Amino acid sequence: MKSISTKIVSADIKAVALSVLSLIAFLGFWQITAYYVASPFFPSVGAVFKAFKNLIMNGDTQGISLATHSWASLYRVLLGFNLGVLLGVPIGLLMGLNKQIYNSTRSVVEPFRFIPPIAWIPLAIIFFAGDTRFAFLIFLGAFFPVYTSTLVGVQRVEPLHKKVVAVYGASKFYTLMHVVIPTVLPDILGGMRVAMGAAWLTIVAAELAGGTNEGLGRMMLNYAELLKIPEIIVGMIVIGAIGFVINELLLMVERYLFKWRWQVTL
Amino acid sequence: MNKSKLDVDIYHAYGDLVVHDGIQFIVKENEFLCVCGPSGCGKTTLLDILSGLLKPTGGSVLLDGESVDPKKHSISFVFQEPSTLPWLTVWENIATGLKIKKVPRNEIRKKVDEVIRIVGLGGFENFYPHQISGGMKQRVSIARAFATDADLILMDEPFVSLDQPTRERMQQEVLDIWKNLRRTIVFVTHNLEEAVFLGDRVITLSQKPTKIKADLKIDLPRPRDPLSPAFTEIRAQCFSFLHH
Repeated sequence: MKSISTKIVSADIKAVALSVLSLIAFLGFWQITAYYVASPFFPSVGAVFKAFKNLIMNGDTQGISLATHSWASLYRVLLGFNLGVLLGVPIGLLMGLNKQIYNSTRSVVEPFRFIPPIAWIPLAIIFFAGDTRFAFLIFLGAFFPVYTSTLVGVQRVEPLHKKVVAVYGASKFYTLMHVVIPTVLPDILGGMRVAMGAAWLTIVAAELAGGTNEGLGRMMLNYAELLKIPEIIVGMIVIGAIGFVINELLLMVERYLFKWRWQVTL
Repeated sequence: MNKSKLDVDIYHAYGDLVVHDGIQFIVKENEFLCVCGPSGCGKTTLLDILSGLLKPTGGSVLLDGESVDPKKHSISFVFQEPSTLPWLTVWENIATGLKIKKVPRNEIRKKVDEVIRIVGLGGFENFYPHQISGGMKQRVSIARAFATDADLILMDEPFVSLDQPTRERMQQEVLDIWKNLRRTIVFVTHNLEEAVFLGDRVITLSQKPTKIKADLKIDLPRPRDPLSPAFTEIRAQCFSFLHH
């Protein structure tokens, strides 16, 4: 057993080492290209790093620091994302367990899926202000991935597993909590990771539409007007990095919760 | 051993298709009844009806004189396919029935530990089903069935997917557990040898529309030797009932 776990750990270290190596290779490639292009429109790694440091220490043109911008965007994302999960899971369960409700409402619900959150921005500008506006738009982006994956996951519940508990006289609520939810949970977590991606896509677009001084999207647009490319790239990198960290956190939760699926058997 | 436990008198049909054309039998308390019939004669349907999950078109199933109901009675079911819940450990799987029946926590622990010892799953309590073999999974299902104070245990060809040596060992184990814990069992199989090896009594069924063809008491002492003349004779007798 011990040698197996050591093997897994060393495989992990190898994976991390390779990731770091490809990151370094990427930065090197970038730096070399910037050196040969030698244009103000293609900033070097150093220029972007300087902009990054400056945005942290001194803030942007209005003195708003990078942390404030990041937190503003993250806060909106989490607000809309949580709302999407909070509504997406129960509605997905309800629709999945009750085909009749699903079939009689699908002509109303399903078309909404194909309206991208960005297409809601004009209405959101009219009806909402401040963080509510952003939360609303992100909710629209986060809801459907969670809802759809929950709906699909419910179909995966094995009739035999329901029968196992039904024989002991399990109530509907027991079956929901101890058979349906454990079966659907992996799909829900997967849907949440997709939703988190959709939420970040939406926040930048929504902040570009204005109505705020804070937020990574807003910051990037300000610098676009000043033609300052390093700061724009800093914004892009921060968005990518935060998204990556959140995704890794969700993956860790998945691995912990689904030991029964993930554990390696040798 | 003479008290009647289960009183079955049913007629079942899906639309025009008659499945059970009047099936009548009684199972005594702590009796091990084997039901043997050709595939497609409605054996699984019969167990679904006995468990109370499926209402027969006509007639009744009485358990202790009352119409059978999974909420009221304590019934266990061992299915043909592996039926362990993959997100629960071996221990938690075995405790499932007790938890649903709202047995107090410390009693659950006592019962599960006892039954784990009896079926020989000690040391595997914290394993997940995907980490153990098919035979062990079926052993978990059997342990789950025996962990509750079941009034009735229904077994639906539980060994059909196991290899021959495992199968023979498991048959002996079920008999040992049954001798230890004394339950009323209805065991369905299409394998005559298995039926004669296990049962106090064997009922053979016909093809659809299904009727009872024979109801034989197996008076052989246990452990039974499938190669002994007495065993072979009873087996041949059952065989003739099954096929003529």
